[in-house]
Amino acid sequence: MVTLAIAKQTLEDMLRRKILLVLLIIAVGMIALGPSVGFLSPRESSAVLRSLGLAVILLAGLLITILSGIQVIPTEIERRTIYTVLSKPVQRYEFVLGKFLGGIFTVFVMIAAMGLVFLLVLAWQEKRFDPEMLKGVVLTFFQMTLLGALAIFFSTFATPVVNFFLSFGLFIVGNLSSVTDSLISNKNPATRIMASAVHYIIPNFGNFNLQNKLIHPSVEISNANVFIVQNIVYAVIYSAVLLLLAILVFDKREV
Amino acid sequence: MAAAVSIQGLTKKYLDVWNKAEITAVDNLNLEVGEGEIFGFLGRNGAGKTTTIKMLLGLIFPTSGSATVLGKPVGDTDAKAQISYLPEEAYFYESMTGWDCMDFYGRLFRIPEPQRSKRIQKALEDVFLDPKAWRRPLRGYSKGMRQRIGIAQALINDPKLLFLDEPTSGLDPIAHRELRDIIVNVGKQGKTVFLSSHQLPDVELVCSRVAIIHQGKLLASGTIQDLTTGDTVEISADKVSDSLAGKIRGVVPAAELVGQRLHIAAADPSKVNDVVDLIRGGGAMLLSVKPHKRMLEDVFVDVVMNEGGA
Repeated sequence: MVTLAIAKQTLEDMLRRKILLVLLIIAVGMIALGPSVGFLSPRESSAVLRSLGLAVILLAGLLITILSGIQVIPTEIERRTIYTVLSKPVQRYEFVLGKFLGGIFTVFVMIAAMGLVFLLVLAWQEKRFDPEMLKGVVLTFFQMTLLGALAIFFSTFATPVVNFFLSFGLFIVGNLSSVTDSLISNKNPATRIMASAVHYIIPNFGNFNLQNKLIHPSVEISNANVFIVQNIVYAVIYSAVLLLLAILVFDKREV
Repeated sequence: MAAAVSIQGLTKKYLDVWNKAEITAVDNLNLEVGEGEIFGFLGRNGAGKTTTIKMLLGLIFPTSGSATVLGKPVGDTDAKAQISYLPEEAYFYESMTGWDCMDFYGRLFRIPEPQRSKRIQKALEDVFLDPKAWRRPLRGYSKGMRQRIGIAQALINDPKLLFLDEPTSGLDPIAHRELRDIIVNVGKQGKTVFLSSHQLPDVELVCSRVAIIHQGKLLASGTIQDLTTGDTVEISADKVSDSLAGKIRGVVPAAELVGQRLHIAAADPSKVNDVVDLIRGGGAMLLSVKPHKRMLEDVFVDVVMNEGGA
């Protein structure tokens, strides 16, 4: 009850942030105008729309997740609202979980809104509903869930500015999993160790990127559903570990 | 009387970024606050009052020492369910309405419906917040209305112990007086109030016992009466002749005669019997003999200045 009350308050607070609403409006506007840029590649206007839609959802989702994740806990401390919360019979883990869930509900609402507009626009253009694209939207949400957990973890000890660069930087590095994977077999032992550390410790954000496979139906994924479920389980487990670490750090933090 | 708050050797030290300088915010503090007391916690800005309260609430952690609140260790969830806190300069979620804000805090106390709604209504009525403002966003509230919401959220759980940090600072005289009356009413309900304040006249009116803290150290504590009762005696008499006044001045030079009325503001207690004998023997009328009472403000200034707190 306490965790959900904090999550609800966080969601309501986040949904009133003008910056997030502006991002949502711009993203939805770009997706809605997607069919009009089909002229760039008349033969593949559908691929252009798919590519644009998923890219816009990813980019807007990334900004919304980072801006939410880096702010939810520091804002409470800065505004001193945390005093009236933690002085009540609220455990610190309930506070961290509530803040995380509130942030993730926000990201869910935003991605769902963008995803819905995207699927409707695509269905209007192609005159059919393509459930495959929904998989891309769902995976983007879980990718953002993982990123949100990372940002919440950093927010328990880093300032929002430092957190922004840490979260954004790790998101970029985590998207280069194919590069680090190939470097693991490098002959240089130092490179091999570094690449292994980066590959196995930093969240593998690259695995969630299905854009190319979804945009070009000729590219096949073997056991697509298993691949998606594996990624979702990976995101949930990795997020749980990050939240556990966040709780351990925040438990010792003075506010 | 059982202790609502018990502090033993509580110390809080802060280190700077490079661990070179050490600031002692609270220094080996020992204190007991009995159940049902309205206890005044006095000190200058930066004396360590808020740091102490934050340690008692588990918001920050002591460097050494320990404390119990309602007989339980600091941070105990059962104890926290029975305490409440109004921070200095309380900030709330601006976009929430007064009612929603109270509902949120009620949920944090795990108060189920319909009890929660009843508690919210009672708390808002107890702090005299205009019902028209209940459904308005907090961002439109005045300072006085915010403080009322602050005290209302501190009452929603019907607490046994309230920590109020400067609850009346920055309020206009009417709001100030109303808030002070609310605190008195809370005390009359048998709740323990731990009141940190600079408003010494308020503390003198409201509190039964006080402690004075300076640079983290406890300098004085006791009942208001003990602290303000001076070591001199005030004597008044009427129908005193000039010649009798002269004799009295021979004993207490500071005696003042206005018309036939004599007033001695601060007589040495050892001289009281002599003065009373002179008054009665001289045919004058003794009006009063009472211990000289000092203002709490004077006591506070003396205690702090003696410690080099200028």
